[in-house]
Amino acid sequence: MTLIHVPRPDVKSAMDSDRPVNALLKAQIQHLRDAERNLPLRYRTDIYVNAIKTEGEAADYIRLVTTAIHEAHEAAAANRGRGIAIAAAAAARPSRKGARASGGKKKSTVKRGRKT
Amino acid sequence: MPTGLDSLKHIVVLMMENRSFDHMLGSLTAVDPRIDGITDQLSNPDTTGGVVTPRPLAQFQGQLDPDPDHHFPAVDLQIFGGDTSPNRVANMQGFVKSYFNQQQDVGHSQKIMYYFAQSQLPVLTTLALEFAVFNRWFASIPGPTICNRAFAHYGTSFGRVDMNPIYVNEPFKNIYDRLINANPKHTAKVYYYDTTSSTMEVANLLQNEPELFGTYQQFLNDCSTGNLPDYSFIEPNYSDHDSDSGEEVANDQHPDHNIQAGELFIASVYSAIKQNATLWQSTALLVVYDEHGGIYDHVKPPACTPDQFTASANDTGAGQPFAFDRLGVRVPAILISPWIPKGTVVDGRVFDHASIPATITKFFLGDYSPRSPREKSADVFIEPNGPAVDPARNLLSLAAMRNDCPDFDV
Repeated sequence: MTLIHVPRPDVKSAMDSDRPVNALLKAQIQHLRDAERNLPLRYRTDIYVNAIKTEGEAADYIRLVTTAIHEAHEAAAANRGRGIAIAAAAAARPSRKGARASGGKKKSTVKRGRKT
Repeated sequence: MPTGLDSLKHIVVLMMENRSFDHMLGSLTAVDPRIDGITDQLSNPDTTGGVVTPRPLAQFQGQLDPDPDHHFPAVDLQIFGGDTSPNRVANMQGFVKSYFNQQQDVGHSQKIMYYFAQSQLPVLTTLALEFAVFNRWFASIPGPTICNRAFAHYGTSFGRVDMNPIYVNEPFKNIYDRLINANPKHTAKVYYYDTTSSTMEVANLLQNEPELFGTYQQFLNDCSTGNLPDYSFIEPNYSDHDSDSGEEVANDQHPDHNIQAGELFIASVYSAIKQNATLWQSTALLVVYDEHGGIYDHVKPPACTPDQFTASANDTGAGQPFAFDRLGVRVPAILISPWIPKGTVVDGRVFDHASIPATITKFFLGDYSPRSPREKSADVFIEPNGPAVDPARNLLSLAAMRNDCPDFDV
């Protein structure tokens, strides 16, 4: 079995987070901007994407929106789960004339997103 | 039944960025003449009428700046050399002219013809010589990243030839939904490098189904614990950025990102699979590039089955509409498995990124409809496992698994 040496890049010279964003990152930013518009308000950033000029700035924005998309979906899934649980509990409860349809208000378990 | 196909449980696709076949693997013709790379017969004219030949002077970084144009009109110039007549024929004579248009610098424009010496790319060239290298794997569209990557996920770009978001409004499902909704159910994942790099598939997959995604760290964990999905698609790191673990250098190999960082990344993916013996014998890894990035290649893209869409002349920006009836420029593609004979060169067959969903679908699901015309006509790089397997087409053809596959010191 042959062991092949893989030369490492010189990180100091290779890394340049101030490099201007290329067309690919510009497109990715635009796609995330569009996706962000579909998120509930509390998950949206207040970043003006036309001002993003460098890879470092792009990376910050991309991380914020990617995280927000995941959080929004997790919150929605938790909400769906809670709705199903409530419905199941209601269906299982014996019918009793005059009984209250539901218990007291419960504390929400929904994971809150970041407000910006 | 062929042993390799019988053992195959996982298919992994790693899609890198923006390098042509000749640029990355063209040097290998000198090692193995069956590989269709650089010869002394190749050239492009520059804007002074001078003849520019390919030279092994490519550098890891700092050479292809600005990023060579690879949008539809520029690629049209690269392929047809500026001929816009109705009966034009591809000649691959417009690469230097196209790069000149960006800086009006004759000397700089010639760098688009540079390629890497074999010794500069020990990972990619070793994998090409050790496993199966494809002589005819083309980008799906003569255009940029997003529409080409769409072909890898959907088997079509839904009529797009540009970088704008592609919203799925046709009955062609992405390959992940096909798998996870199948009966019996399969598993599939898109691994982006990290949250900061994220994915190029935002408009549909990330926005609507973020649960399909994992990070590269999760891929490494899934490999070591034996929890890799049936199908995995890996995206590299698209940007230089800081992370919790320190500075992350872009490893997508998109110009002007560092080539060696990408080499290391490819080796890391390969090693993660190989280090788990059970996984290694049951996995095939495809390393492929999304498009050529405006960099020279000598093979004329062939015609193909038209998709059911047409991009208007306004959308192409090239003065004429496009019926998705011709492939883009050739890119590097290597299929890796211990069941592939060393030194396999896949010749005489044409592949493009529609071959990815076509292969995954046929291997895991068999017959499936609806699929785009382009995907239906795309060749598959792994044969569906069954009694009718054609031995001449089966790349995982060894009767016994190899134990001489290389290791990388990652």
